[in-house]
Amino acid sequence: MPLKPMPSPYLADNLFAPNRDKNMVKERPHKILVVDDEPDLEPLVLQRMRRKIRSGVYNFVFAQNGVEALERLREDDGIDMVLSDINMPRMDGLTLLEQIPKVDPELRAVIVSAYGDMDNIRTAMNRGAFDFVTKPIDFEDLEITIERTLKNIAEWRDALASRDRLVAIQNELNVARDMQQSILPTRFPEGSGYQIFGSMEAARDVGGDFFDAIRLDNDRIGLTIADVSGKGVPAALFMMSSRTLMKGAAIGSVSPSEALREVNELLSQDNDAAMFVTILYAEYDPTNGNLTYANGGHNPPLVVHSDGSSELLPLTGGIALGLVPGLEFEQETFTLAPGDTVVLYTDGVTEAMNADEEEFGNVRLHEIFASSPPIDSKEANDAVFRAVHDFAGNAPQSDDITCLTLCRSEFED
Amino acid sequence: MDTWTIAEINNLTIQGELKNGALIAKTEGRIDGGNAREFQSALENLMTDDVTALLLDFEGLAYISSAGLRVILLVSRQMERMNAKFGVCSLSSSINEVFQISGFDRIIPTHAAQADALSVFGR
Repeated sequence: MPLKPMPSPYLADNLFAPNRDKNMVKERPHKILVVDDEPDLEPLVLQRMRRKIRSGVYNFVFAQNGVEALERLREDDGIDMVLSDINMPRMDGLTLLEQIPKVDPELRAVIVSAYGDMDNIRTAMNRGAFDFVTKPIDFEDLEITIERTLKNIAEWRDALASRDRLVAIQNELNVARDMQQSILPTRFPEGSGYQIFGSMEAARDVGGDFFDAIRLDNDRIGLTIADVSGKGVPAALFMMSSRTLMKGAAIGSVSPSEALREVNELLSQDNDAAMFVTILYAEYDPTNGNLTYANGGHNPPLVVHSDGSSELLPLTGGIALGLVPGLEFEQETFTLAPGDTVVLYTDGVTEAMNADEEEFGNVRLHEIFASSPPIDSKEANDAVFRAVHDFAGNAPQSDDITCLTLCRSEFED
Repeated sequence: MDTWTIAEINNLTIQGELKNGALIAKTEGRIDGGNAREFQSALENLMTDDVTALLLDFEGLAYISSAGLRVILLVSRQMERMNAKFGVCSLSSSINEVFQISGFDRIIPTHAAQADALSVFGR
């Protein structure tokens, strides 16, 4: 099954000026078409998004089904994105997805699906959906998804504009870099008894790290950290596919090993270019501190205890995703004690080099926290970056450096 | 035994050597996003019909990134299509760790030393 993470932007024929400045939204609200046959949704959206509407950031228009949606899109070329339900009379959301590029190939669509409905999510993605949210709609999550989608549209428009101005490799790398930044979360799930923080520092011209932290059912949390091979726009597109497939699989699967198996299956199809992604996916259960993880060719998680001692969790024998179809993955469970911190990271940390061409390595990884155990997740994250910077000095950064940490609180509140 | 220089790329040198009919390519330096493309074309030029066995000797290799791993996989697939033998050998401990963590040691034939590879090749 070919992966189409988004409609081709190269087909677009009406470009407008780059819109990267957040202040520019004041000039024209982003217009979002909401398609759903449930009459309750319209007042709910208007109510929950009223601040954004009043301040002129968003403007919502509504349609009851796919046919009506297409009519709206044809009569109004100012619509930036579509948020659509799947099951609707006259024309459903999946059919609508197929029709949208014919009206405007630049439009991004986000699908609203039932929780765990991987079949429809998968079909939607193949038909060019940019992302999805699950029912019942969490409006905070929806707002983040809308922001991310609009940002991605802005990046593409910007990319197209610069493509017209100058076709250069550096430009392509910038496009890839911007797309990478646009999929990273900037807010993290919060809950009682744990804290999460993650960040990435991009290398100048190569790299393809990403991370994600999502809410699952029963208050559990899904944590993803990943590294895509290669660089440039093809790698960035592969990264977008990997990230969305991982999110879908995380929500739709019964276990981390099953989630990786599904993502591997989808990425392995038609992958003649042999692109691959290493993914560590973990599910954290705040009720008992259990961290269940499956590893697809990624660096093992580091667990730091409250006394500053630390250990690398065992590998689970997985292979990087996208290479071998039909692969089964194993998983392991580690129980975080109160005060424990799990640090997920990419090889940009352990393979960072100093001027003498020495690698940062695992020993220094353990040393980061030996004398100063983590205080909170942000501090733990910062400590990793500080240690790598201090070690590397002025040596050039050759790979992305990414870190995602989860602290189990010392005292349950 | 005669050796010759196959390629001198930014940060990477590849030396060729024929042993019992197997072509051994000894790499020295590093393979990363900055030279992976050149590394790939150097190896593609080697894969002619008369090469029935290719061994990459990584003894002098200091670093390999995911871009380099991808090239090795492409070469491995190409050799398989040509019904030719392929493998890598003499991985340093840090390169070996990269192979283990990524799982590449399970999809690319990996040998301790040249002699082990050649005996598996039947040379």
